[in-house]
Amino acid sequence: MDWTLFAELAVNGALSGLMYSLVAMGIVLIYKSSSVPNLAQGALTMLSAYIVLAIAGALKAPLWLAIPLAMAVMFGIGMGIERVALRRLAGRPIIMILMMTLGLDIFVRAATMTLWGGTARPLPLGISDAPLFLGPLLLNRAYVVGALVALVLFAVFFFFFRTRRGIVLRAIADDYTASWSVGISVERGVALSWAMSSVVATAAGVLWGSIQGVDQSLSQLLLKGIAVAVLGGMDSVGGAILAGILLGVIENTASGFLDPLVGGGSRDLVVAAILVLTILVRPHGLFGREDIERI
Amino acid sequence: MFLRQSGIHHASYSADRALFPIPFDRWAVAVLLAFGLAAPWLVSSLTLSTYLLPWIVWTTAALGLNLILGWAGQFHFGYAAIMGIGAYATVHGTRHGIPFEIAIVLGGLTAAAIGVVFSFTALRVKGLYLALSTLALQFCMDWVISHVPAISGGTQATLQAPPLKILGQGVSSETGYYYLALAWCLLVTVFMLNLKRSSLGRALVAVREKDFAAAVIGVNSFYYKLVAFATSSFIGGVTGAVLIFSFYHAVTPEQFAVNVSIEVLAMVIVGGLASIIGSFFGAAFILLMPGLMNALITWVSARLGLGLSVETLAHLPHAVYGALIIAFLLVEPMGLGKLYNNVRNYLLVWPFGYTRK
Amino acid sequence: MSDAAPSLLSINNVEVIYDHVSLAIKGVSIEVPRGGMVGLLGANGAGKSTLLKSVSGLLKTERGEVTRGEVRFDGRNIDALTPQERVELGIVHVLEGRRVFEHLTPDENLVAASAVRGGRADMLRNRERVYGYFPRLHERRTAQAGYLSGGEQQMLAIGRALMTQPRLLMLDEPSLGLAPFLVAEIFEIIRRINREEQLSVLLVEQNAIAALEVVSHGYLIENGRIVMHDSSEAMKKNPDIQEFYLGGGAARDFHGIKHYRRRKRWLT
Repeated sequence: MDWTLFAELAVNGALSGLMYSLVAMGIVLIYKSSSVPNLAQGALTMLSAYIVLAIAGALKAPLWLAIPLAMAVMFGIGMGIERVALRRLAGRPIIMILMMTLGLDIFVRAATMTLWGGTARPLPLGISDAPLFLGPLLLNRAYVVGALVALVLFAVFFFFFRTRRGIVLRAIADDYTASWSVGISVERGVALSWAMSSVVATAAGVLWGSIQGVDQSLSQLLLKGIAVAVLGGMDSVGGAILAGILLGVIENTASGFLDPLVGGGSRDLVVAAILVLTILVRPHGLFGREDIERI
Repeated sequence: MFLRQSGIHHASYSADRALFPIPFDRWAVAVLLAFGLAAPWLVSSLTLSTYLLPWIVWTTAALGLNLILGWAGQFHFGYAAIMGIGAYATVHGTRHGIPFEIAIVLGGLTAAAIGVVFSFTALRVKGLYLALSTLALQFCMDWVISHVPAISGGTQATLQAPPLKILGQGVSSETGYYYLALAWCLLVTVFMLNLKRSSLGRALVAVREKDFAAAVIGVNSFYYKLVAFATSSFIGGVTGAVLIFSFYHAVTPEQFAVNVSIEVLAMVIVGGLASIIGSFFGAAFILLMPGLMNALITWVSARLGLGLSVETLAHLPHAVYGALIIAFLLVEPMGLGKLYNNVRNYLLVWPFGYTRK
Repeated sequence: MSDAAPSLLSINNVEVIYDHVSLAIKGVSIEVPRGGMVGLLGANGAGKSTLLKSVSGLLKTERGEVTRGEVRFDGRNIDALTPQERVELGIVHVLEGRRVFEHLTPDENLVAASAVRGGRADMLRNRERVYGYFPRLHERRTAQAGYLSGGEQQMLAIGRALMTQPRLLMLDEPSLGLAPFLVAEIFEIIRRINREEQLSVLLVEQNAIAALEVVSHGYLIENGRIVMHDSSEAMKKNPDIQEFYLGGGAARDFHGIKHYRRRKRWLT
């Protein structure tokens, strides 16, 4: 076995895995503060990249300005989603909520395509393509930037969920009715979580868009985001980071060795298999809370 | 009104347990059945093969999914994969010279066997995690089907279904295909109608409401979850085969991709969980709506001279489809079946509305 | 209550209908005086919890609606307010079955409930006050709330409600599933809070013996109607109450059936 190749696959896998964590973190944010599993996170990621491009195109704004503006827009969109789609679903069975986020996913994807068309566009962030050498290992600069952003966001949310507002959001996720009974504004809390998650989606959308171009395939990050979120435990921000690294390493090395054997395309299989195995072996993930079921 | 309850007295238990105790329902079912049987002579062959046939096949699929989702309460986000397995197994069987009647049963059994694999996750988890794991299994199945040449006939390949032969008779007309689909649909519908008055149906409902509580009163929830998955997968597998032989005539992996799973799911949810009539409505709604929307949007843009681009026209119906699913969940989360029941309940006691409850 | 000053809470002729069809309570009127401690007794399904929810505004989540009558708090009609606004006014509802935030620690449970008012200093002072009433919670402050014992969870639920700095504390069956000595302990604490902070309390109970020991007045609700209202002393002496709620009837023979008929009469 070629150990340098293996190490390179592993390190680049870890970096790209941290970028999956960006998508997963959006899912975790919403789940941790409203117990809604958001299957539209991939679509939101895609939408945000298109909005960045639209703002940059329409206002002739440079990217460093367009990205914060797009984050503001996405913040509003996140609030709007709660207001329109989720407020009336509070307390409904989980299947309705899952179907709602699937409906949102279909709608957001198709609406984006309707507005901007499906041809892939570049989103140059100005990260140089020149390889970065770490000893004998060859790293991708864009992945390094993405991984750093993921770590910064992790730190932010790690502290956020220990503030008063963060604790309130976690309380909402535990019990809507009890939250109402002590005067917590559940609607505002859920809206805030969607808004924050949409902002995180913007970060993910910009970084992934700069790497693979902006097109419909950005929404397929959902599978990886879900796999990372479940592996880390649906409500653990730190879990999302560690699981991202773990999944990235496994995915990259496994598909690196599997692809030549099966003729390519084994990445999604590896991710889906990890998702199934996680749920079978340890449903609450590495660091997730275990649900206490009293009979 | 027509839905009259007065004057209906049951003198025996079997009369009390009849599927349609109200005469109006019996008449309605008889008329619908007669229409279904006579449809090839009543509607044009184009309508038959582009609307009626797919509607009936997808209704059957929705009923199969409703068994596991509505009755047993186990989430299944990979139903299309199960249908695909049944379809591929049947096509391979007939290509190897097995008669269609036997091959389709084998196809159903193969699907049931794989469905039991899905159910192993259901024995471990429920709710959200079950949904996600079945979704992941759908991806795995997709991958296996499209990447194993022995199944799909090579990547990007289309596998032709052999000509349909039933009892040695070649069937090649639209009418013949239609009757095949109708026969299967009727069989499944009758099965589902009877489910709610059988012990299996009651056990499934008990498991759905609270599996622990069901276990405490002696319902073996593991066993019934397995049975539910196997039965539902058998229905799905056979439906997949019927879909290929009567409608597509060739099988490709994309026909059973993840978006198809979500489409069947949408049929069940829009129709109403555990509602049989709802599955018919839901399938019709999800199938017909994109076409209608397309026509409407083209018409509107032509009338107003909007000059929408081809790409916009291609994606707009999807956006409307997503928006309608959202709207449905907001307005009537219990689905079309519930709307139908509301109307029916209103008419049952009309004009004495206050006697309700 | 015939005082000149209006009661803190007055419920006038309220009717609640669930899901547009099922009538839960009908023509119910209740007064809770300032600083008073009032009990609401009744059997399962009598409509006790529904009445509390009509005050705290939690009916909407269960598709319930106040269709007639009005709820006044501090002289003001609160029917149109959201649950959050009612908590801001000073009404807090301790839900039946405890319902603590299971995945949070007791510390965090209390912090989450302080969201409605006050700065950080207020919150910390309040929390110390709650721990003062419930020293046992303080010992378990960093455990996961879902793994606390039933009594501790009930204390946490009450403490959580106190964090909103209420003027009216409504308790829904705090004795549910607790050992008698724990019930006595919790009721004693409630009485202490009532005395020391002039906090008005509306106590809903099935456990009539324990409840009548601490309240000054009691209402008896049956089948969605108030059938009796008196001081707790008088209620304890009432033969019907003794027969049906206190279980103290000495002679348990078939004559009891006559009492059943009598009870039926005061219902209609």
